[in-house]
Parts: sequence; structure tokens; C-alpha cells
Amino acid sequence: MMYLRQLRGELRKLFARPRTYMGYAAFLIMELIIVLVYRFTDGRIYMRNLMERNGYESDFYFSSLTLTFMVMLLSMFMLGSIFFALVAGDVVAKETEDGNLRLVLCRPISRLRLLGVKWSATAIYTFSFVFFVGITGYLMAVLAVGGQGGLFIAEPKMKVFAVYPEWSEGITRLALGAAGIGISMITLSTLAFMFSCFRIKPAAASILTLAILFVDMILQNFPFFRPFEQWFITWRMSGWVYLFEKDISWPKIIESYAFLGGLNFTFFIIGFLAFQLRDFKT
Amino acid sequence: MSAMLEIDSLHKSFGPKPALEGVTFSVMEGEIYGLLGHNGAGKSTTLGIILGMVAPDRGEVTIGGVSVQRERANALKRVGSIFESPSFYEYLSGWENLKILMSYSVRFDPDEARRVVEMVGLTERIQSKVRTYSHGMRQRLALAQALLPMPRVLLLDEPTDGLDPEGIKWFRDFVLKLRKSEGVTVLFNSHLLGEVEVMCDRVAILKAGRRVHEGRIADLAGEERIYEVDLDRLEVALPFLELQGCQVLSPGRISLPDSVDPAVMVAALVGLHVRVSAFAPVRRSLEDLYLEITR
Repeated sequence: MMYLRQLRGELRKLFARPRTYMGYAAFLIMELIIVLVYRFTDGRIYMRNLMERNGYESDFYFSSLTLTFMVMLLSMFMLGSIFFALVAGDVVAKETEDGNLRLVLCRPISRLRLLGVKWSATAIYTFSFVFFVGITGYLMAVLAVGGQGGLFIAEPKMKVFAVYPEWSEGITRLALGAAGIGISMITLSTLAFMFSCFRIKPAAASILTLAILFVDMILQNFPFFRPFEQWFITWRMSGWVYLFEKDISWPKIIESYAFLGGLNFTFFIIGFLAFQLRDFKT
Repeated sequence: MSAMLEIDSLHKSFGPKPALEGVTFSVMEGEIYGLLGHNGAGKSTTLGIILGMVAPDRGEVTIGGVSVQRERANALKRVGSIFESPSFYEYLSGWENLKILMSYSVRFDPDEARRVVEMVGLTERIQSKVRTYSHGMRQRLALAQALLPMPRVLLLDEPTDGLDPEGIKWFRDFVLKLRKSEGVTVLFNSHLLGEVEVMCDRVAILKAGRRVHEGRIADLAGEERIYEVDLDRLEVALPFLELQGCQVLSPGRISLPDSVDPAVMVAALVGLHVRVSAFAPVRRSLEDLYLEITR
């Protein structure tokens, strides 16, 4: 119970800070732009051609469900990662910088528990943010193209291709996919969280995280790194796309999430050790 | 009276520079103990170690018999602390700050919190955002958070820094009243020597990481009997005083041997037609002692 009360306080702090909402605002604007571009320009031609080449009725599958999937696929890594790194990089480092942590650390709470509470709040933020993007993305897509139609999935890099003509099946897969992205993104937040535990500025924690993410992403896309792709964080983080396969290959998903879980644990322990060994003078 | 806070042989270095070298002292239950020293003398490091925020290289701190280094959470259960310029969550109200900070110690009790907020005189502004608070209000909020839950030991690190004279007096009276009503043990670290002198029962002085003095405020006057004097006809008065065993410390200041009664001395000087405009005992202040030791 104490843990939950402390977590509630941590969430209160997190969601009371204006910068936490920067990501929400940025995503709303971006979603609006994507949806408007698809609705009123030739942006839809590529999608239509792709659907029709594969023998699917583009008027039916160019839908709010498909648009939502596109928004999540295109935006989460590039833009979402910036905000996850920003918020998670702040969680410990900003409080240290501002001096708030002195008031907390003189309380009878262990550093492990304190970090546990802060990490939990960060994970909840990450997860809820992904769902926010999914829900608002879907609502905007409904406004742009209507609520009818099925879900069309084409992700050549992960070799996932599927269609869901039923709305209920499509929305279920989208919800499952959002949960998958949420869990994947927790790894990114944990990396930023780890750096936040070091004696560095909050901005440095965010920048280091993004640098690692982008280097990982760039290397992963080099053709000669292809044989080693399963060792890249961003490749494993893309494992959520498998949740859209007609017959979900759970072993592949479990393998990816076990890999990410191991990374999360390692990042947390490194962050904890760095934090535990630090002296905080009054 | 038993020791509530025991500091045993603390050693700490930051890099090659020793910050503390064998600092030892005890604070008795219900006592107000002053910790003095120049900047960099080791006061904040000592407080950091007491709170388990700094790990000592050697030595141990026990609070109520429980070791901070071995059972930190247990030892700090009833310890409240205030720092110079406390940093609250500016974007939250004072009340929310108290709620969050208290949740790291015990379950938040709104009735207890309201009582403490009233005690520190912050009831009217407690729902306002902390960013709108004055320095004095922040110190009151700092005091409120230190009292939630009601501590047995209160650690005050420069708590009156930046307060106006009225605020300093309010703070002093509050702490003294708290000691009387709740029997709280207080460790007080301040540069305001006058405040320390008025509030504390005992003081320790740190210099370059070592404890160079410990003593009772009441014993400050010491054994020496020093008098401030204003005399004329010094060519007559000074030889006479020296003949009586007095020592002239500086123009206008003499020390009297124990055997000499000051009233008899004044009468004798008057008998020699020396005009005695002043002849008053000088009480050595904490500032005198502090400067003497730390120079």
C-alpha cells in the first residue's frame, strides 16, 4: 500500500510538470498533419497502389484503422522516443539538479525503493502515452476518413503482412499493438532512466539515450549488419509488429520481449548502483 | 539523560581531500546542540552522514540506538530535517508537497498535517503553489515537512538563513517551544552565532574536518575574570592594578585574580583619586570563543 501511495505521489509530480505534456501536444499536432496530408493530398496514392497491387479494395482498407496503424508505426520511434527520453531522463537528474531529492533522501525510504517508485511512474507514463497516441490518432482518422473499413497491415522490414476486414478484429489488433509498443518503449525509457541516475545533467541523460537509439537504428539498417539484426535494441523494439500477424508467432514475440526485459533489468541495476554509490550533501 | 544521537569517529574524504577526520560527539535526549564551523569545516558532510545521504569511510552514527549505516530506514523513522534554501516542487501546492514528502515516511494523515500547518502559521497559503511563496513561507513549509511525522530528532542546517529578524525570532521561539512541549532533540547548524548562543545547550566547533571544541554554552564565561574599565590618571592606576596582581589585557580591559574583590578594587582606586567611570565584568561570547578557536 505504501508503494502505491508513493507511486501516486510520483505520478502526481510527473503529470503536474508542463514539459510532460509537450509530447502530448506535439503528437496531437503531428497526427493532425499526417491525417490531413493523407486525406487531402496524393499521400494516399502509395497506400492505394500497395493495397490494389495485393488485390485488396483500397476504398475499404484505406480506413481509420489503417491510418492509425500508419501513425503509430511512423511516429512512435522517431518522435515518441524524443519525449520518452526527455521525461525519463528528467526523473532523477532533474530532481537532483533542482535539489528536491535532498528532501526526499532524508526520509526513511531506501534508494532502491525510491528508484523502483520512480521507474514504475516512468513505465506508466510511457505506456499511457502510447495509448494516448493510439486513441487520439484513431479519433482523428475517423474524422478524416470515417469509421468504416478494415485494417491493412504491411510492414516489409519485419515481413508482416495481414488484413482484418472486421472492425472489431482490427481494433483489437490495434489495441494489442499499442500494448506491444508500450512495452517496447519502456526499454527506451529505462535507458534514459539509467542515465538519469548518474551524476549528469537531465539534458545529457536524454541526449545520450537518443544518441544510443539512433546509432542502433542506423547500424541496424546497414546491409552488412543484417545477420546481427536480432542483437539490436531497435530491432527487438519493433517486435510489437508481430502482434499483427494473422497467426501470432508468440515464440518470436516472447524472445523479443525477453531480450528487452533483460535489458530493462540490466539498465535498472546499473542505474541503481550508480545512484546508490553517490553522496548527496545537504 | 541518555544520548539520542551519537556520532562516533566519522571519517570521510572526497578524493584526496579529507572532509572529516574522526569527528565524535553525542547529543542528549531533549538537548539543543549547536554545530559550528567555517564553510568547508565538515558540518554539511556530518549532517549528510547522519541522514545516510553520504557514506562515511569509517565511523558510525546511531539515532536512538539504531545505526544509520546499518538500518537507515529504521534509524530515520522519527527524524525531521531542514536545509538552507529547501527546494520544494514549485509546480505543486504546499499541501501536495507535504503529502508527497510524508508518503516517503508514513501514511499521510490529513488531520496531523493540518495541525502542523497551523502550528507553523501557513494555513491560509497551504493550497497555493510553492512558486508563489516568499522565502519565509518556504522555511515555514520546510519546518512543517520536518515535523511530519512528529520527529524525536530535528536536524536544522542553516534554517534561518535569509530570514528577516522577525522570522529568525519566530523560528527560534518555535524550536524552543517544540523542545519544551515535545521533548525534541535538536542538532542546529548555523552561522548566526547569536542564535546558537541563545538556543543551544552545548556546541561543538569543527575546523578542517576535526572537532576542535565541545562545551556548554553556560560555561562560556570560563574561569577567567575579565573586566572592562574606564579610568583616568593611568600613571597612578596601572601600576596600582599590576601591584594587585591584575593583568592589563588591552587598553580598557583587565583580568582580575581570584583573590581580588572587584568592589574593594574600585574603592581603592577611588581612594587614590582615580576617577572610575566604568568597571564591569565582561562575559565572553560564543563569537569570542569561536573566533579564538578557528583563527
